[in-house]
Amino acid sequence: MLEAGICKYVVITYGHSALWGGGMYQMLLQLTGNEAAFGHFGAVGGYALAAMRGMHEFSTGPETWKHIAMGQRKWANLNPAAMMHKKAMSEEDYYNAPMVVEPLRLFDNCLINDGGRAIIITTAERARDLKQPPVLIAGMGHHNPSNEIGQAKYMAGPTGAKKAGEAAFQMAGIGVGDVDACQIYDCFTYTVELTMQDYGFFGRGEGEDWFKGGTIEPGGRMPLNTSGGQLSEAYYMGLTPMSEAVMQLRGQCGDRQLGPKTNTKEPEIILCSDNGGILQSNACYIFRKG
Amino acid sequence: MSYDQLTPTPDADSKPFWDACRNHQLMFQKCAECGDVRWPPSILCPQCHCRDAEWIESVGKGTVYSYAIYHQAFHPAFAAKLPYVVAIVQLDEGPMILTNIIGCPHESLACEMPVQVAWDDVSEECSLPKFLPIL
Ligand SMILES: [Zn+2]
Repeated sequence: MLEAGICKYVVITYGHSALWGGGMYQMLLQLTGNEAAFGHFGAVGGYALAAMRGMHEFSTGPETWKHIAMGQRKWANLNPAAMMHKKAMSEEDYYNAPMVVEPLRLFDNCLINDGGRAIIITTAERARDLKQPPVLIAGMGHHNPSNEIGQAKYMAGPTGAKKAGEAAFQMAGIGVGDVDACQIYDCFTYTVELTMQDYGFFGRGEGEDWFKGGTIEPGGRMPLNTSGGQLSEAYYMGLTPMSEAVMQLRGQCGDRQLGPKTNTKEPEIILCSDNGGILQSNACYIFRKG
Repeated sequence: MSYDQLTPTPDADSKPFWDACRNHQLMFQKCAECGDVRWPPSILCPQCHCRDAEWIESVGKGTVYSYAIYHQAFHPAFAAKLPYVVAIVQLDEGPMILTNIIGCPHESLACEMPVQVAWDDVSEECSLPKFLPIL
């Protein structure tokens, strides 16, 4: 629409009052349908089934997921807007948290919060004349395998992330090695692992090795979900990862800014993902400093 | 919401399935064209879009594709059942259905374990197909 000149600016917003409005609960209950008769509700159960199948098919589990939960929490501790800003998480905290739906513990789950996010898209030409430093969309890809999760054979991957990632990398003309940081849709820790695996950052079942040793943390070689993400900052669907990527590339992230401040590489290229349903759809976006 | 309101609400497509459940029969549509046995019920074959299908009765045996153990009650009706097991079972005829595994110690649960149907008559109107391990 922007290219065709139908409109000049597009605002993408998301907001909810999940803490008091009950809308999130309603949405999750509606996802459930007749499966409620078996005590199966919402997203946690679906992702728990996927995570258990993942544990059956390749090497994964809490030993991998704890690195994601704890790494993102360290970023949240640098972000005054994050819900978990003042709460550290030790390995003991991770393991001692209650199981919600096994194999997923409390800190494998994203947050529930009130709030909203918005981003504005326009042409690169127009963006250069605006107040904020521009960030360019270098590549994008979508793929929606879209079976009911109950009939899906992609619980342990490859999910839609594989084709979405390939398309985005091809459009951007880059590879995994060119990415400076990632902002990955993280409804659950397992989603982050599976998405990164399908994008090709590591081989199937190599997640534990890849995540351990602070890879995604401040000071790490592949900073990931640098606001704390939906696990530790706040849940705004795809706009948590996207807004953080844009702000990082603009250099507007304060104490958590990528670069010398956090002993990480100053970012030129940040990869983002969004994900829908129970792994039923995936969108990959590659942003580049304007 | 009481548990009664959580029991399945059959629609035109799924009514034959839930009616058969009351007689403790597990019935699925088999495509007349490609032979795919499908779930959930629908007017078209999801594989080949053929409209013709016959209802066949499953033997009620299959394997666990995946499972998850609920430790929190998302509805008060399930508080007393915690922890309980939700699973996806792939029946020998092909379809995968969401169900509960009952009668199995949680430490013995595993993907690919063989199971067979066990009927739970939750009310006069509703019987749910649940699954037991085949020992
Ligand atoms: Zn067919």
